Amino acid sequence: MAVRSRSSGWIDTAALSWRLLTQRYSFLLFIGLSLGLLVIGRVQPVFMEGVRTHVIDGLAPLLDAIARPMTAAQNAATTVKSYFVLRQDNEALRSDNAQMKQWQEAMIVMQRENKELRSLLHFKVEPGLAYISARVIADTGGPFVRGLIITAGRTDGVREGMAAMTGEGLVGRVVEVGDWSSRVLLISDLNSRIPVTISDTGDRAVLAGDNSAEPKLFYLAQGTVLNAGARVVTSGHGGVFPAGLPLGVVRDTGHGTYAIVPAADLGRINYIRLVDFNLKGGNFNPIANKLQAEILKR
Amino acid sequence: MLEALWQRLDNVARASLPFMSTLLFTFLSVVAWPLPYIGTVMPPLALIAIYYWAIHRPDLFGPGMAFIIGLLFDVINFLPPGLSALLFVGVHQFVFWQRRFFSGHSFLMLWSGFALTVISFIIIEWIFLGIIRWQITPFFPVFMQAILVIFLFPLPCWMLIRLQRSALSSN
Repeated sequence: MAVRSRSSGWIDTAALSWRLLTQRYSFLLFIGLSLGLLVIGRVQPVFMEGVRTHVIDGLAPLLDAIARPMTAAQNAATTVKSYFVLRQDNEALRSDNAQMKQWQEAMIVMQRENKELRSLLHFKVEPGLAYISARVIADTGGPFVRGLIITAGRTDGVREGMAAMTGEGLVGRVVEVGDWSSRVLLISDLNSRIPVTISDTGDRAVLAGDNSAEPKLFYLAQGTVLNAGARVVTSGHGGVFPAGLPLGVVRDTGHGTYAIVPAADLGRINYIRLVDFNLKGGNFNPIANKLQAEILKR
Repeated sequence: MLEALWQRLDNVARASLPFMSTLLFTFLSVVAWPLPYIGTVMPPLALIAIYYWAIHRPDLFGPGMAFIIGLLFDVINFLPPGLSALLFVGVHQFVFWQRRFFSGHSFLMLWSGFALTVISFIIIEWIFLGIIRWQITPFFPVFMQAILVIFLFPLPCWMLIRLQRSALSSN
């Protein structure tokens, strides 16, 4: 009897000290779990990406609900502001209109000429592009990742690699697609690389994000001097984007380095338009494709 | 019987307030705020809540909760899963150990404790992310983020104090 009580006492003490121990050191368990997840994320990135897409899909309605009042407040502020600058706006629009009329004249002439030349060449008109509009519900990543979560996913026809545009120009591309939501990587993200052309000189470069508001231009030919304010457009190399999408204008950052001021205000995007150009990486050169098809035929 | 059930439900709701408020802060820091470029330097508001609850109610907000919040933070912000979880648990534990020192004297002490925590947090986060991705992230926006969250601290902290006094004081 005495032995039994002593042993149960020992068990009680052990259990108690075990409980105290787990309470005191439970954080070690969670640190271990975190480290484990980090390792799994490195070893199985695709699996982790899948899990993440599902979680974000689930959270999208909640994020949307929180984002709505913000968007409404911003719209209200814009409306109020627009009343105050009505007069200046009116004058600016008048002068713009006069200029546009001149352009219109020129365009009509060119359109006619273009039509005639196309008919001479038996040019096949490309099918129209598909647009998907979406609202931005989260601006994620802070200083480490520049991306957006938007309210359109696979059920709306979104596919990976689609170009994300605003009225002003290209802002990024779709990198992850869930059922109801997707993630857009902005051109300012550290991992964004876009082959570009400087439109006035035809120089080529790579536009690389660095998580700041102004992505930098790299791989310019040595000694190239660019004009500040020159337009920068996609070059179409690499096959992710077609050539000619506007990105922004050149800014001289000194010592022969250049950045761009994005055409679209990357810090303030509420709506986005996704465009499918039906391009796939590595399958972008129409001439190469034609040659390949001919070789296969033989 | 019914009354007892209500009482229990009420207690559970009150006890979950620290976690729920931290969750709300997590979401608020990723929502597209109507301010230009705020997304780049938007501070991790969840850190304020974790700091506050680790000092004032560690019984209701344990390391497991810091872990869950951190994991959610990683998922939403497209950071390597586990990174913020690891750091949030670390912050929680560090603050928990030092809570007498941080909370004992005045609000200024609480604030300076937070500043110290945030600065250590961002430096460690920056180094870890650099190692995991094998890529150096520009430090300036990270630094700006820390400055912003330190200056912002009194407002969310005041909200949490109000919340604690109104809903958790009777517990």
